[in-house]
Amino acid sequence: MIYEELSDEWKEWLALSPIERFHESEKIFANYLAMGGSLDPDPDPTSPFYIPEESGSGPAYGRPGLRVLRRSAV
Amino acid sequence: MGGQACVFYGAAQFSKDIDFTLLADEENYVRLHAALGELQAVRAAVPPFDPAALDRGHAVHFRCQAPEVAGLRVDLMTRLRGVADFATLWARRTTIQDADGTCYDLLSVEDLVQAKKTQRAKDWPMIGALVEAHYRAVHAQPTPERIAFWLRECRTPERLVQLTRIFPAETSEMADRRPLLRIAVSGDLDELAAALDAEVRAEMAKDRVYWEPLKREFEAMRFAEARGNRPPP
Repeated sequence: MIYEELSDEWKEWLALSPIERFHESEKIFANYLAMGGSLDPDPDPTSPFYIPEESGSGPAYGRPGLRVLRRSAV
Repeated sequence: MGGQACVFYGAAQFSKDIDFTLLADEENYVRLHAALGELQAVRAAVPPFDPAALDRGHAVHFRCQAPEVAGLRVDLMTRLRGVADFATLWARRTTIQDADGTCYDLLSVEDLVQAKKTQRAKDWPMIGALVEAHYRAVHAQPTPERIAFWLRECRTPERLVQLTRIFPAETSEMADRRPLLRIAVSGDLDELAAALDAEVRAEMAKDRVYWEPLKREFEAMRFAEARGNRPPP
């Protein structure tokens, strides 16, 4: 997608300096962990490092104890 | 060299791990082991840390256990398909300094784009975003190297068409190397998108061929480890 078509959020992101982006990314990372986000690699069958039996050891939506209360229709 | 580098360059907002490309050198491995020790990093999968395996193109995966970085994955490689040797990468790296003086050495955006030309579907939108972010950042100061980079690597049909119109002479020079530029000159966006897809499929196929023997070796290592022939961490 060309810049002109990007959402405002992405345009704001690109307007940051590289080091500002790094620090913002650290904040996102901290929030992700606080919400129970897993640090396991995402399952990616197109990766040469993908091992089905070693992938997806945790729930995709976060740590044990978090549960899905509502799902979309698909 | 991975998602974190993409964050610096503006192509990503978040990365769950850190990928490093390393100088394959005894002295550097001593420093590496000290750093991994500080992080209390343990091997997360085969292969074990082995300079010879790294030199053949394998990646070594660690998971940190030190409290400040618990669970964080660190992946190491010394050789990347289609990418220059470490000395060249180092010579043209980007270094960014934080306010506290911390320096971050990144693959140059050209080398990062090259490194992302893999069989993984998720890497290709990242290449498009890297080139677009680069164009956005420095399009007002075009240099021959930058123009060549955009024409060689741009993955967005609309931007490619625009580039060929702004830089017609450079497009002619580059067209033998990247034939789809001729389609970009014609302005046919659908045909151009199809040609870009074909380019991705061809590069993915090259990457699969490159990884085939490494994956066989990788499977043999996993099998040996599963049978109890566990290599050192």
